[in-house]
Amino acid sequence: MKLYLAQLWAVAWKDLMVECRSRERVGAMAGFTVLVGVLFNYAIDPTLVRPEDIASGLVWLTIVFAGTLGLGRTFELEAQDGAFQGVLMTPAPRDALFLGKVLSNYVILLVVVFIVLGVFGLFFSLDWGSSPATLVGALALGALGFVAVGTLFSAVSSGTAMGGALLPIILFPLLVPVVIYGTSATGQLLADRPFAEVDGQIRILGAFALVALAVGAVLFRYVVEE
Amino acid sequence: MKSHVATEAAGGGIRWLGGGMSMLGLALMILLHWEVFFWVNTESTMGVVQRIFYVHVPAAWVGVYLAFGIVALCSAVYLWLGDERADMAAVAAAEGGMVFTTIVLLTGPLWGKIAWGTYWTWDPRLTSTLLLWFIYLGYFIVRGSTDNSERGRRFSAVVGIVGALDLPLIHLSVTWFRSLHPQPVVLKPEKPTLDPDMLMTLMTGLLAFTALFLGLIVFRYGLERSRWNLELRTRRTGAA
Repeated sequence: MKLYLAQLWAVAWKDLMVECRSRERVGAMAGFTVLVGVLFNYAIDPTLVRPEDIASGLVWLTIVFAGTLGLGRTFELEAQDGAFQGVLMTPAPRDALFLGKVLSNYVILLVVVFIVLGVFGLFFSLDWGSSPATLVGALALGALGFVAVGTLFSAVSSGTAMGGALLPIILFPLLVPVVIYGTSATGQLLADRPFAEVDGQIRILGAFALVALAVGAVLFRYVVEE
Repeated sequence: MKSHVATEAAGGGIRWLGGGMSMLGLALMILLHWEVFFWVNTESTMGVVQRIFYVHVPAAWVGVYLAFGIVALCSAVYLWLGDERADMAAVAAAEGGMVFTTIVLLTGPLWGKIAWGTYWTWDPRLTSTLLLWFIYLGYFIVRGSTDNSERGRRFSAVVGIVGALDLPLIHLSVTWFRSLHPQPVVLKPEKPTLDPDMLMTLMTGLLAFTALFLGLIVFRYGLERSRWNLELRTRRTGAA
């Protein structure tokens, strides 16, 4: 168990280190988020719709789109010069590889979630409700399920000739539950509804994340097998 | 040599089974159309458009439940045991399933326009069926866009399994989402207790579509296997 966690962590640490030094994915996702905020500002007429009413939808779609952008590059670096072969030759089991990749993607996505909250709060002068910690918790749980499914299918899409262009087509239909329960919980928390009302939705987000992690860990070996 | 002989024998089996099933399906399909157009009573509130029901429901049973069930099961068997035949069955069922799901998505709006007053509404079953169609689409795109056919088979099996596990959750979430929102002001028919003649016609439809679907996938399976044998033979002669 200790060895397993060490292997998992080694994969995640390597990816995070690369990301810290290149800042490639976080940079692209952060730039994307700010620009989407600017575009939303012009796409939505504030005299017709109050930003608060649609904030949960905007936040979730930005997270999903920005996240897909970054997730698509999960295996990009290692695809060059057959570097992933080297990773596969390490004694780490495939599920530890998968969970390590999920962990590094998750840390990166959480950074993006905070950027989304900051940018949208600033641009649309949104108030993040009376319990911002619960809000972040709901977003973090939803993001975990998203990252787990996304990492698995990022491995699939990088193995095809279409590459990243394929990812949204496979990923978005599968993400419908996350988007529905996520936006609904976020919307209710923004409207200061009591926790008891969103409790069920948050649990389902958690269940989705657990199932996605387990299924991804089992199926990943068939995706990367050579 | 022995495997070659076995293949020929199995090819004959496919011809008989596929041909028999397809003939049965076609005969039942003719009977179904006779029943739908000349025999069964017209439904009192919806009128003649209700007759789409006898095509729509059987297509949904085949495309959504039967085909996708076979795809998920055979994909899991393929990944688990690595048996090519399971993958051939999965892709045959997926192709048939996509055709029948397309029939569902085409006949539904035609009926909906008259019965509900709109071609499309975000009813849970409509939404889930549309998303299922996209999962099938992903299945084929993944399969077709790899330069290594063995990798394409593995990838599409993963899409099939994850899709099958996610579909109930998708359905749960879209149903729950709808219960949150006010019902649209279009008419939604109460579930009618089915008249015996109508039930009879529906049953004919279910049998006809199931037989035709099975006939089609047996042939499609045979085609996939011929391709596989051809690939093997080319590889063998290429190596020699």
